[in-house]
Amino acid sequence: MSLLEVKQLDKRFGLHHALSQISLSIEAGKVLGLVGENGAGKSTFIKIITGVYAPDGGSIYWNGQLETITSPRDAHRLGIHVLHQDRHLIPAFSGYENLYLGTDIPQVKFGLRIRWHEMKRRAEALKKELGMELDLDKTAEEMSPPERTLLELMRVMMQDCKLLILDEPTASLTDQETEILFRLIQQLTAQGTAILYVSHRMEEIFKLSDHIAVFRNGKNAGTLQREEANLNKVISMMTDTDYQAAATHERQDASMNPVLLSVNQLSTVDGRVKPSSLQVHAGEVVGIFGLAGAGRTELLEAIYGTRSIQEGEVVISGKSHRRMSPQKALEAGMVFIPEDRRSEGLVMGMTIRENMTLPRLQHFSSGLYVKQRKEKHAVRQWMENMNVKAVGSEQTVSELSGGNQQKVVFAKALMHEPILFLCDEATQAVDVMTREEIHRLLREQANQNRGVLYVTSDIHEILDVCDRIYVLREGSIVSEIAGGEATSEQLLQICYNR
Amino acid sequence: MMETTKITKTSSSVQWSKLFRSYGTVIAGILIIIMFSVLNPGSFATLDNAINISRQISFLVIIGIGATIVMSVSEFDLSIGAMASLGGVIAAKIIASGGPLWIAFVVPVLVALIIGFINGWIVTQFRVLSFITTLAMSTVLGGFTFWLTGGATIFENIPDSFRYIGQKSLGSIPMLSIVMLLVTILFWYVMTQTAFGRRLYAIGGNESASRIAGLRVKWNKNAAFALGAALAALTGVLMASRLGSAHPTAGNGLFLQAYAAAYLGMTSFKEGVPNIWGTFVGAAIIGVLANGLTIMEVPTFMQDVITGVIVIAAVIMQRLGRNAQ
Repeated sequence: MSLLEVKQLDKRFGLHHALSQISLSIEAGKVLGLVGENGAGKSTFIKIITGVYAPDGGSIYWNGQLETITSPRDAHRLGIHVLHQDRHLIPAFSGYENLYLGTDIPQVKFGLRIRWHEMKRRAEALKKELGMELDLDKTAEEMSPPERTLLELMRVMMQDCKLLILDEPTASLTDQETEILFRLIQQLTAQGTAILYVSHRMEEIFKLSDHIAVFRNGKNAGTLQREEANLNKVISMMTDTDYQAAATHERQDASMNPVLLSVNQLSTVDGRVKPSSLQVHAGEVVGIFGLAGAGRTELLEAIYGTRSIQEGEVVISGKSHRRMSPQKALEAGMVFIPEDRRSEGLVMGMTIRENMTLPRLQHFSSGLYVKQRKEKHAVRQWMENMNVKAVGSEQTVSELSGGNQQKVVFAKALMHEPILFLCDEATQAVDVMTREEIHRLLREQANQNRGVLYVTSDIHEILDVCDRIYVLREGSIVSEIAGGEATSEQLLQICYNR
Repeated sequence: MMETTKITKTSSSVQWSKLFRSYGTVIAGILIIIMFSVLNPGSFATLDNAINISRQISFLVIIGIGATIVMSVSEFDLSIGAMASLGGVIAAKIIASGGPLWIAFVVPVLVALIIGFINGWIVTQFRVLSFITTLAMSTVLGGFTFWLTGGATIFENIPDSFRYIGQKSLGSIPMLSIVMLLVTILFWYVMTQTAFGRRLYAIGGNESASRIAGLRVKWNKNAAFALGAALAALTGVLMASRLGSAHPTAGNGLFLQAYAAAYLGMTSFKEGVPNIWGTFVGAAIIGVLANGLTIMEVPTFMQDVITGVIVIAAVIMQRLGRNAQ
């Protein structure tokens, strides 16, 4: 009997089918590796079995019993715990205090006083049992990232953990620390704990897993025994082999056109982007592909000037900039469509008109006042061009649908008459129609000799839309492929090869 | 043809609730006025008293507008009370030592512009919470004011000319009321009709989006702090002119009331957004309450309790209205 078995799990977000008919099982004392490209549904799956999301359909069996997990508390009660990518520790608390978050703290009667001695004794005993070296007197903020991972792991072990979910646990660990983690995992499985190991790092998956489940577009593409799995097989399962790049999309060979944007050996102060170079020619849609955390957004931000540049230069239409700022970027005709339109693209409480004209308010201002009639006229024109569905230019953008909000973001950019577009996940959470419209619009812009730098985590979209693709891995550009020739397998191969 | 889908009004109750949310505070204000008029027809509901109220609220309106401007960029300036005190003291010092009248008005405002800019600079450059920065600045200014005055009220050698604006009337309208109206209209214009005002609201609404849209976020925030402080100092000077003297803590009490007025104002007209006419209405409600309750001989401490409860009630009402949406 399996420890956890899910059958026909289903989850929708609006029109988006995040999970469909997912069935898989996890055995006690075994490691199940879970892989899949960005957006394949791994995170959604984890959130459902830990009670964060409620599934729209399907059933979950725990030790053969049908269970409904409606809150993280339910999951904890069963013994399901997650080690998060973003750690849930309280920075100012010591290791001991953090360990006891969410568990019963040993106290004197009526909770009058914490029994510190008892608290420490139990923690030390566990530490010894796990064979860990960790100074628990240190506060969480004083610990290094791997120490924090160990602390979180210990915290999970304080509780009665039957199933431990590890989501990209080695992202911030050195090789040596990774070894410690792996040893702990082996210890846990020996004690009968089941592990769900989610990672982009294939060699770890192959090393640890007893079984490997592959997700593709919200479906379980199959579960392999470790013996029968190899990199090529897994990647071909991750990519839709039936999928064919839309032949109807026109492509440009723009290599002879003048260079609009040239990024030379650009790196950022925070080290998220390592010296990277790329070029965008006039008339070209250039893609940047990479796995989550590869530094896609960070690279765009560095080019646009919202992330501090360490070294290198950004050359726009032949003019070199060693320090960028949004003002300079806009002046040079470069606009940025940010990934998250709610937090970065729009001022949600303002009207369509106020949002659209924000970057070029001086254009509508006589110096003393904003010429609202001129402003309204221009905004209505653009709403019509972009087919924005709204009551009128005075509607608050928070009342619009996601797709219409994104059209406002694009209209705002287009009003600026830019020569360069930096798009970060421009079609995220928009409906299919709007998505097509955005693709068409960008192609039209390219045909007018403008340049587009297009970041998306959707591998099919990038193959459909882009003339040329740069692959980003761990902050560096590692490869450049012509869009027409590239396949999803090829892209993923480059991403996963370390 | 532009594709617009007209949202049909589903029911009249929706319109009523929207009307109530936008003008609920105004309606409440009118109800309060009616209540006092019925209770004290002879003393409250007179033209003289209305004029009197307009003078009484002038300080609160002007300093409240200062608070509103800082709030429009989603920041707070807790030093406006101390700034008002300092402004009054500087003006009185200048005029008492024989300085010209216009200098006594201009210098405090210039000093405040600089101090406000420093507040803004600390907040934007070092990313310190404006709460902490301006709280500390308030202490600094208070200390400075005491040093200037030795803790005593300045009342000697104040010429009559300095009292003109504070005490005289144009016809039957007090000069203070006229200044209040001019300041209100000016800043209504600045905040709603100019590119500068639009940028402040954009930054307050979403700082990252504003930065990406190419706005100079730091500069604009600094300017908002500077304007807020300048209006506080102006309030202090006008108070000194009204009283013919300057006390080192004269303006301190205005600070909490200024935010009460601004918060009451956020519940009217532009819902949830600090706005100039809203603050005007908020200050007027607080002023009418103080006036009416005094006429009814309600003790001051009770007045404070009632005013506080009304502010809390207004903010809760607005929240409820929003949730119902």
